[in-house]
Amino acid sequence: MNSGLKKGLAIKSVDNVATVLDDVSCGDRILVKFADSASVLTIESRENIPFGFKVALKDIQKGEYVIKYGEVIGRATEFIGEGRLVHVHNVEGLRGRGDLGGEKI
Amino acid sequence: MTFLGYERPDGSVGVRNYVLIIPGGIISDSICNFVNGCKTIVTADSGSGRSKRDRETIARTLVGLGMNPNVASVIVHGRGLGSGYPELNVNRLADDIAKTGKRVEVLDGSNTSTLELIVKGINLAREMVQEASRLRRREYDDGNLCVGVKCGASDTTSGIVGNPVVGYVFDKLVSKGGTALFGENTEIIGAEHILAKRAVNKQVAEAILEVARETEERAKAIGEDIRTINPVPSNIAGGITTLEEKSLGAIAKSGSMPIQGVLKYGERPKGRGLYFVDNWMSMLSIFLGYAAAGAQIVLFQLGGGGLVGDTILYSSGGVVAPLLWLTANPKTYRRFGEEIDFYSGTVIEGKETIQEAGERLYNLILDVASGTMTKTETLTHTDPNQIYTLDPML
Repeated sequence: MNSGLKKGLAIKSVDNVATVLDDVSCGDRILVKFADSASVLTIESRENIPFGFKVALKDIQKGEYVIKYGEVIGRATEFIGEGRLVHVHNVEGLRGRGDLGGEKI
Repeated sequence: MTFLGYERPDGSVGVRNYVLIIPGGIISDSICNFVNGCKTIVTADSGSGRSKRDRETIARTLVGLGMNPNVASVIVHGRGLGSGYPELNVNRLADDIAKTGKRVEVLDGSNTSTLELIVKGINLAREMVQEASRLRRREYDDGNLCVGVKCGASDTTSGIVGNPVVGYVFDKLVSKGGTALFGENTEIIGAEHILAKRAVNKQVAEAILEVARETEERAKAIGEDIRTINPVPSNIAGGITTLEEKSLGAIAKSGSMPIQGVLKYGERPKGRGLYFVDNWMSMLSIFLGYAAAGAQIVLFQLGGGGLVGDTILYSSGGVVAPLLWLTANPKTYRRFGEEIDFYSGTVIEGKETIQEAGERLYNLILDVASGTMTKTETLTHTDPNQIYTLDPML
């Protein structure tokens, strides 16, 4: 096994993010398995991503939904390139948002 | 599969054999300090100044705890019950518990001092624990078990491994004719449509959606961005980004069986199978509610990746229901291993499948049901309980 290859897990084939199961450094290659199929994907990380955090499996445009478990978990607040960390700095949740004063999301 | 338990007069089977003293307070504490084998509830909420709905919740919780199969017999006394509200009348509570056929004694303080009542209670409790100790464990089917679960300090290992392992156990327990309880109303927001599809009928589906709707409305009504409340900071530090992501991971602990109904906090299910409980996530509250609903064992599925500078607290929140700490996070297990009863990070390490870890957990639950102590049970420390009330205090 390639010692430089880090582990990642995506739940459904339609997901555009995966959870990394190692501490990942910028430039590391991540072998992503899918829980619902035998397919795998290798992507290169573009920044440090700690164990348990999410990596973008493809480019995600600003305003595009972020998909995990085959479901919408939020919306990108900026462009997120493949291999970047996906977290609260570039994704917003859409539910229970009392701060929006009834504004339709 | 079977476990060794204590049969009660109503046909239910206990995994422990306690004498319960309710409600909490100086008398019940004093009895528990002096007498082996007693349990009490540690709560400051007497019901005083509470709405009728909340008083009913308190009464339901106390009665349910007394009815729990892990309780051999019960002492009820009046002190600490708010100001004579009919819902919390001592005799009403005692009569409701006595419907199970188990022994219930009322400790009457009307013509005595507090200290004299303590002595009376101690003598009564000594006699009752000795009587309870004459009962022997016998072999019973696993379908007699009821298990409740909470996931907490969740991180991304919870949703992808820890909760699915519990889900496997729940599926197996329900298929054997057992009962499984899950809940946490804020943490189905964003995943309620998936749960609703698993409801046994339209009415239950609508009840699930209504819980999510009501909870979300409460969040919106206070005008805050829910992201500053839930996911909680330790979730975010553990890699969970949004409430939707947390919810989708959280519901994995319910497995895949049909949902038979939506229960109120502390409400006993009418049949067996999988139930959703409309409860609040706090570990000081949720395990008490499950025990009141009849759970003999409760599970805390811990993420822990986002716990910074903290230790995990033991929780005796189930009062009479032993608690098992579980985690799927290898880092959490390395840090808190001495406090964890079960580790499923083997799945993340590629050494086990979710099914294999689930089988291991199922066997551990049967072992604990037969009398093996959990790590929490080895301590005498008792955490406070917080009954889940909804209305303002007046």
